Amino acid sequence: MFASGIALHGFGLRYDLPAPLYWYLFAAAGVVVISFVLVVVFAGEQVGAKAVQYPRRAAPSLLPLARSPLPRGVGGTVGVLTLLAIIVTGLFGSANAALNPAEYLVWIFFWVGTVILSGLVGNLWYLFNPWTAMYDLITRVVRLGPVWKLPDVGVWPAAAAYFAFACLELTSGMANRPWVVAILAIAYTALTLAGMILFGRDEWLEHCEGFTVLFGIVGRFSPLEAERDTTGAITAVYIRPWGVGLLKPSPTGWDRVFFVILMLSTLAFDGILATPAWQDFNITLEPLWLPMGPWGFFVVRTLGMTLLTVAFLLVFIAFIEMVVFFGNRKVDLVATATGFALTLVPIALVYNAAHYYSYFVIQSQAFIPLLNDPLGKGWHLLPAVAGIQPSFALAQASTVWFIQIVLIVGGHVIAVYLSHLRAGERFRTAQRALLSQYPMLVLMVTYTMTSLLILAQSTTKAG
Amino acid sequence: MSRYRFVIVAAVLVVFVAVGAYLLFGNKSSGPQIVTINVTVTGGTSMKPPDLSAHHNDTVTINITSDTDGEVHLHGYDIAFEAKAGQVVSQTFKAVNTGDFPIEWESTSTELGHLIVNP
Repeated sequence: MFASGIALHGFGLRYDLPAPLYWYLFAAAGVVVISFVLVVVFAGEQVGAKAVQYPRRAAPSLLPLARSPLPRGVGGTVGVLTLLAIIVTGLFGSANAALNPAEYLVWIFFWVGTVILSGLVGNLWYLFNPWTAMYDLITRVVRLGPVWKLPDVGVWPAAAAYFAFACLELTSGMANRPWVVAILAIAYTALTLAGMILFGRDEWLEHCEGFTVLFGIVGRFSPLEAERDTTGAITAVYIRPWGVGLLKPSPTGWDRVFFVILMLSTLAFDGILATPAWQDFNITLEPLWLPMGPWGFFVVRTLGMTLLTVAFLLVFIAFIEMVVFFGNRKVDLVATATGFALTLVPIALVYNAAHYYSYFVIQSQAFIPLLNDPLGKGWHLLPAVAGIQPSFALAQASTVWFIQIVLIVGGHVIAVYLSHLRAGERFRTAQRALLSQYPMLVLMVTYTMTSLLILAQSTTKAG
Repeated sequence: MSRYRFVIVAAVLVVFVAVGAYLLFGNKSSGPQIVTINVTVTGGTSMKPPDLSAHHNDTVTINITSDTDGEVHLHGYDIAFEAKAGQVVSQTFKAVNTGDFPIEWESTSTELGHLIVNP
């Protein structure tokens, strides 16, 4: 149905079976029952600042490692080598995406693997970021100070960078062209290095570098927490339960809310692309986009993703207005919206993991045989790995469905619990806090149900 | 009180996960079968029937008749059928992987159909 060479999604084939109806009904029932149990069990807990204090355990044994330059050195080296490999194989390797390591490194190992692992373990981007590694290396030789002061732009530029990356992955139809990926990697490297040099390293990273902001949010979900003194040196390392880091004080603003909503909407859009509903929408609009040729494909998808983001944002704001109304207190709307937006992150992360699980398991193995001939020149560097076929042992349909259910329900529980604590902190009495939770609960149940519905419908069938 | 709350939630979660595992892994279909599917490919662009189905661990034989020379490729299993116009090419394999596997006319990457292997 689509012209060949245009990716239906980022890159690579997915072999997921649509989940059976009973799977969906069981998971949906579980979500509703568990939400109900959570509300009943946790009704009337603490209010005020105490509500968002979470348990954490100091891990002094990790401190020497965290303070040593070793992890950052090794991580930075791996990051820079990976970036180089992406550029070299992307430019000079096979034009067939399935045979080009650049595609696997970007879409499987970086985009899927690093995000999931950062949520599970800790902010890996902090270690692997190749641009900070390059910058830090340069500043060892040359002293660099910011030339200009970055205006007060919040994280809007980072949100724009993230949106552009989502367009490359999902709407451009170009994600499976290795040379495009390589050239964009070079361009983004130049932009990021120039930004850090002109405006200051951390200023640029924290406001304009999309991945740093993204992984900062993902890392809040993770169980590792580091405390720093004013010079930025790590003074203590803690282990905490998954998700609770999202309750930590965060800069507030609509830019932050928008970034979180963008995370949710782009993820959902990736799932929606594979559903029959999207195919129908696409076919309906064919008279509009077909005459535009390859651009039409891009326009209709980008339009779809933008509309979905706007819809998510409006729904979220409407629900926050309700939360504040039921909470019956004059609170700072922006701060409240930021706080509650972060409590949706667990649902997005588990949906991300559930959506990509089998794809990651299979495609990460498909990368191995490419090591024998990374540039597609007929080399035999590692003949031993050339014939390796991906094993489906961890990606059989029943296993995938089971893992998806566990992830989705687990993430939902964390999100509902966090939002409950956040309400306790925001509103004056336990009763009000509980009341304010109902709209949030409805939003979370709806969002989780939508995730389940997308997973259940997911099919690669065209038409 | 606080401790009991977490115990209650944990207990509900454990029951949910256990029931889910039973539902998904408990009732297996009736043993492996031998499945033979005859397929006709026209012009390297379409296949009849477009959707082939089997169950996990079935022994599947696919017989392809094409009116054009070329390779029909079954992804996931990575099996190639070297079609010759008017002749039948067959491949037999065990359906060890479950999933939805696209079948393509390799030279043009045109999707012809799918092999669906259910658990």
